[in-house]
Amino acid sequence: MEKLNQVLLNPAVQVGPNLDAWLQAGGGLGLQVALGARSTIIRQIADADLRGMGGAGFPAWRKWEATANAVGDSKYVVCNGNEDEPGTFKDRTLLSASPHQVVEGALIAALAVRAACVIFYINPHQGQSMQHMQLAVSQWQHSTLLQQLEQALGHPLEIKVVASSGRYIGGEETAVVASLEAGFPFPRKKPPFPAEQGINGQPTLINNVETLANVSHILRHGADWYRALGVGKASGTKLYSLSGDVLRPGLYELPMGTSLQELVFHYGGGMLQGKAFKAVFTGGPSNTLLTARDLDVALDFDSVWLRHSRLGTGAMIVISEGSSIIRKVAEYIDFFAKGSCGQCPSCKCGTFQLARLLDRVDGGRHSHADLDALQHLCQILPGSGRCGLIDGAVTVVKSSMHTFPQEYGLPVSAEPSTATA
Amino acid sequence: MSETIRISIDGKVVDATPGNSILHTRLEGDTPLTANIGCMGQGVCGSCRCLVRKAGERSAETRLACETTVEDGMQVSFIDYYLPNHVHHYRPHDLRDGWQALPQLQQTFPELAHCRHCSGCDRACPRHIPVQQGMALAASGQLEAAAALFDACIMCNLCTLACPENIRPNHVGLYLRRAQAIQNLRPGDLLRRLEQQARGELAINTRSDTPRSEA
Repeated sequence: MEKLNQVLLNPAVQVGPNLDAWLQAGGGLGLQVALGARSTIIRQIADADLRGMGGAGFPAWRKWEATANAVGDSKYVVCNGNEDEPGTFKDRTLLSASPHQVVEGALIAALAVRAACVIFYINPHQGQSMQHMQLAVSQWQHSTLLQQLEQALGHPLEIKVVASSGRYIGGEETAVVASLEAGFPFPRKKPPFPAEQGINGQPTLINNVETLANVSHILRHGADWYRALGVGKASGTKLYSLSGDVLRPGLYELPMGTSLQELVFHYGGGMLQGKAFKAVFTGGPSNTLLTARDLDVALDFDSVWLRHSRLGTGAMIVISEGSSIIRKVAEYIDFFAKGSCGQCPSCKCGTFQLARLLDRVDGGRHSHADLDALQHLCQILPGSGRCGLIDGAVTVVKSSMHTFPQEYGLPVSAEPSTATA
Repeated sequence: MSETIRISIDGKVVDATPGNSILHTRLEGDTPLTANIGCMGQGVCGSCRCLVRKAGERSAETRLACETTVEDGMQVSFIDYYLPNHVHHYRPHDLRDGWQALPQLQQTFPELAHCRHCSGCDRACPRHIPVQQGMALAASGQLEAAAALFDACIMCNLCTLACPENIRPNHVGLYLRRAQAIQNLRPGDLLRRLEQQARGELAINTRSDTPRSEA
């Protein structure tokens, strides 16, 4: 099992909020490399093909470069630790068990984009994450490494730990900006993107906890080392939050591109009670369902995308035969309905109506007209919200109807594809 | 033969006559009407809540089907009645003391203080009532002004459905209108009519063949 927990969850770096222990474990070396080769940091992140691990899989270096090139006298770096999706439990582990690798990554990002302030935006419902990050940051504030960093920047670097609202919607990047401007975390229309105009109109780099946690290791060991960790064309490692009907649910750091089969049946120990694998809700769960036909898929952003789904946060909620897909979908839609921020009535009312129809179908109290209405809602709702919440909700409903038509009592097509866009 | 256009209602494509309302078009179709029906086109009951997406537009908007004229390519999804888990209990008798109006309102609707100012209620209201302003006025004690804003409210419940803080704005409006009615003198002509009726001077004729003018 040498492929497991090689970098971020490596036992050697699980030192908690203890800076000395982190430095003894090789921490700080990445920042020192960055200080010596400041102009090449973004190039190295690009060469490593580090992706945004919060769900988008967007190349991290593009945001870094956009923020670095944007004009602003008080730029921000925000570490987004709002993690609140059902089935995702990776960031809280990193923040509480190895906070210094997250802090060091954020400081390297601050050096690369010449930021004046670094903010750790943490979900307050994760008490230990907050506590350990506050301790970790207070230790860095008295460190010589930070002094060297400020000298390189030519100005002081403010570092803060800020509690997020703890709401699901608060993790959306424009909602992060709104929240840090002391408002309610309402998503905003894009553009402008935060890299151009973020907090108080200043260029703001917003990265997920896992993304930033990788940075010091890339700088320390090099882009080639990081790329070689992945399977095939995929780069680095990924934290997979495995849950649902498996024998050994838990958080697994595996090479990016590990197959779904290997994750579920090797690391996850297979299905509970020997039941058959039915489907998996991936990273959100606001993506297209993967089914038994997709067990061979490599769990990296590009390969999952080719199956018309998304890797998302790396959350994998496994469902076994005998479980109702409609019931699970109804529960997630109810979650989205409650989490909708309220700005867009189409999102708030649309998710409500989706939930009502799903509830009727699940309880067998529906008519054929309800199924037509459900499919129709999936046509008219996408794109009608300021953020992607309503689109994600529709995607999972649409996907479940397409993939498991028999559960809805819909006609089964001759050649059902495993996934739909 | 008049020109027809096509719209889709809850997944069914139907021919519609330009100038007709969505509800009228649905009535003409072959879909049996078992829900979202109340006053049948009078615009007073608020039952025919729907999401409407016009051709070429990105966003779906909340509307009343009886008040919305069909357009070619329009897509319509009807919305169920929304009943929140929490129901507010109060007795009209308790609303008589004007000095207690604000604390009673706060006690009955404590969530009123939680408004996050998202304006979702304003966007959801098919009568274009400035709902959020009404809630701000109510919370600040300007109860008469708040009640006046809700004169046009037909209790369709869309603002309640849209509110992420479960404020139930239309019910706040109804509460204030009730309080205002209880604390105010009634119109003189209404009082005189009621007196006449009590004396038996206003016979009520229920015969349907009698012209209305003789009643």
